[in-house]
Amino acid sequence: MANKSSRRDFVKRSAAVVAGAFVLPQIIPSTAFGMGRRIAPSDRLVIGSIGVGSQGMSNMMDFLKLKDAVQYVAVCDVDSLHLAKAKETVDHANKNSDCRTYGDYREFLEKEKLDAVSIALPDHWHGIIYSAAANKKINVYGEKPICRTIKDGQAIVNAVKKNNIIWQTGSWQRSLANFHRGAELVINGRVGKIKYIEVGLPDGNKGIGTPPVKPVPAELNWEMWLGPALEVPYRGVSHWDWRWILDYSGGQLTDWAGHHIDIANWGAGLEHTGPVEISGTGVYPVEGIFNVPVEYDILCKYANGIEMRVANASRLPLGMGTTWHGDLGWVHVDRGDIISASDPKILNEVIGEKEIHLYKSENHWQNFIDSVRSGKPAIAPVEVSYRAISVALLGEIAITTGQTIKWDPEKEEITGNPNATRLLSRPYRQPWTSPTI
Amino acid sequence: MKNRYLLILLAGLLTFFSACKHMPGYKTLIITGQNNHNWKASSPVLKQILEETGLFSVKIMTTPDKGGDMKTFDPDFSKYRLLVIDYNGDSWSEKTNNAFVEYVKNGGGVVIYHAADNSFPKWKEYNEMTGLGGWGDRNQKDGPYLYYKNNQLVRDTSAGIGGSHGKRREFLVRTRITDHPITRGLPVAWLHGNDELYSQLRGPAKNMQILATAFADSTAGGGTMRDEPVLMVITYGKGRIFHTTMGHSDLGGGPSMHCAGFITTLQRGAEWAVTGDVTQKVPWDFPSAAGVVFRPRFKEMTLDEAFDNIGNYEIEKSTKYLSCIQSHLRSLAGDEQGLLNLEKMMVKVLKDKEATVDSKKLLLRELSWMGSDYSVPVINELVSNAELKDEAEFVLSRLQGKN
Repeated sequence: MANKSSRRDFVKRSAAVVAGAFVLPQIIPSTAFGMGRRIAPSDRLVIGSIGVGSQGMSNMMDFLKLKDAVQYVAVCDVDSLHLAKAKETVDHANKNSDCRTYGDYREFLEKEKLDAVSIALPDHWHGIIYSAAANKKINVYGEKPICRTIKDGQAIVNAVKKNNIIWQTGSWQRSLANFHRGAELVINGRVGKIKYIEVGLPDGNKGIGTPPVKPVPAELNWEMWLGPALEVPYRGVSHWDWRWILDYSGGQLTDWAGHHIDIANWGAGLEHTGPVEISGTGVYPVEGIFNVPVEYDILCKYANGIEMRVANASRLPLGMGTTWHGDLGWVHVDRGDIISASDPKILNEVIGEKEIHLYKSENHWQNFIDSVRSGKPAIAPVEVSYRAISVALLGEIAITTGQTIKWDPEKEEITGNPNATRLLSRPYRQPWTSPTI
Repeated sequence: MKNRYLLILLAGLLTFFSACKHMPGYKTLIITGQNNHNWKASSPVLKQILEETGLFSVKIMTTPDKGGDMKTFDPDFSKYRLLVIDYNGDSWSEKTNNAFVEYVKNGGGVVIYHAADNSFPKWKEYNEMTGLGGWGDRNQKDGPYLYYKNNQLVRDTSAGIGGSHGKRREFLVRTRITDHPITRGLPVAWLHGNDELYSQLRGPAKNMQILATAFADSTAGGGTMRDEPVLMVITYGKGRIFHTTMGHSDLGGGPSMHCAGFITTLQRGAEWAVTGDVTQKVPWDFPSAAGVVFRPRFKEMTLDEAFDNIGNYEIEKSTKYLSCIQSHLRSLAGDEQGLLNLEKMMVKVLKDKEATVDSKKLLLRELSWMGSDYSVPVINELVSNAELKDEAEFVLSRLQGKN
């Protein structure tokens, strides 16, 4: 691929930038100079964050490491303690005290003039805020899974396309060598024709029972945290643990879809399509407020005959990760730089010049910045991420209804099942409304 | 008029035929009469558990007492599709042994239950059918130990006794093969009720798969610190054998036999032994790693029982009654009439002034996707209930396709 922005080139380039940046009295986004959203190599990207909890903070740190390439100017969160910590971090990196803080993303998007925004929020907020950022024509680094429902996902994909922004999903495994190598071997037929894929995601959380209702801590804007989700009393569960409650997440199944399912699609050439038939079973907790499945086992069939099983890792022979089974063998990849194959020789195969060379990135956050500069798509573009999470969301619908779901990946709709179709979206609590497609 | 009689006749015939279809099918024989366990308690429970599925018609046959004339024990095994061995005692006659082996070779199904794997230590074919056994002076001459260590299956040929168990306790059963018909859809880890965990079993272990293991923790006394096999499947000739080491029986069956996990795996294993497949749904109350589920009457909770209880649900309580309803919902797999019947029962709870707000909230979530026009008037009324307004609007929005 043509993405040649190697680390060394970049460092050379940015050496000049640093000198220049001190001269500027104020950070003005490149877009303000009428350059569209293309940023000259000599300019740093003006960037901010919405959601600076665990993953949001982690992404911010990764961007701050690229300090010659970005200029952090503002952060937004509904938790004032998160906000204060994020501001402190940014100010420390910038050696000033200029980082602006917001408790409401609307004000943040309205007032800040940004080249890019990093967004890491509970899934139930993704539809509204991803679309809003795209509609402001700000390039987005957005956390996976990109949506809580398929309809939200469609709205996000459309908003990104309509506004012609650069999108990068936080599916950072794509920027690691073993996943890239595994996918590239597979897409070039090194295990033959792919018949079956196994995707192992983490086992579910056992639960915490039902903690008592508590006063909302002063630092947390609970009403805003809930946003479009149904109002529930505060029981001390918000940050991080939202992923065990169906109103905000589908559990490990949806949380990890943007990793190992995404990688599975990459290697099998399924990035721009979806399954045609989905069935599945799940095991749910029988007490407590955590209500996502603790176990799940989903089988997807594709129009080209490929089958994909997605299950919690303990159910699968190779556990976590992605395993592509072809008619000549298999390749398995997982975190921890793991790559293995039915025959070790497969792993030594050289990919010829005329074969498929998958998009290569060595730093997921750098790749986003490079894309914003070049205008070329990032390694985890929005539609591809929508296809990855769709597998998990359709699986969730199959488990919920107990039915085999028929999906039309072209029209992106469930066929012949009005009940299941209702689960493609979630009603939003007023005054919030679903993003329009 | 004539047509009407014809219809009634037709309906009658249909009922008759469908009843036939559901008549207990596979003829099953439980063999007992001698055991170091309370077989008088366990055998009727095994019969009840199997007949609960509607798949088996079960007869219990007892051998002569210890020291009795085994020649008189001469059943015609070929009349049965399944033999359940709840026996640990004197050797059978050679004729009976041969008939048993022929039966299995020709495709007969067998369930080896708990101490049945202690029986007949010298009968080679029987030990090939059980795969692994214990006690009765079994040792290295009888075959290797099989267990999991660090998630790897180990065939250990070292010298030593065959068969031991620690104190009775709850233990976590871990499914090792999740795509076998017996274990398909079961949790990978679930707690089993108070039982002996058979350990250090050894045997020929040919044509055998270990479906599930449990860790023999030494803190409870006598543990091997190994993941010991508790559920196994073996093939012998054309026959299929399901082997469960669980289900130690005391008076009245013992707590281990009340465990929904023991019951379900026995029911599924028995069906697989007969047909090679399992058609039974995983019951809603199958235990998880979080806790043991006992069935005092060996029966799965019915939908009516669940609805009788669901109106009392509060958020701090177990959602087991809702789980039962959800599980039933899923088993309907989209059957419209079935869903409507269920919807009517759910609406009845919504109308019930005694039913809790929390129970109504739970049911509203389900109705949001499976409800029909039938629910709408009642849900409309709930909009004026301050505590249920949000949920009611959520459901109406979804039912009316506004979201």
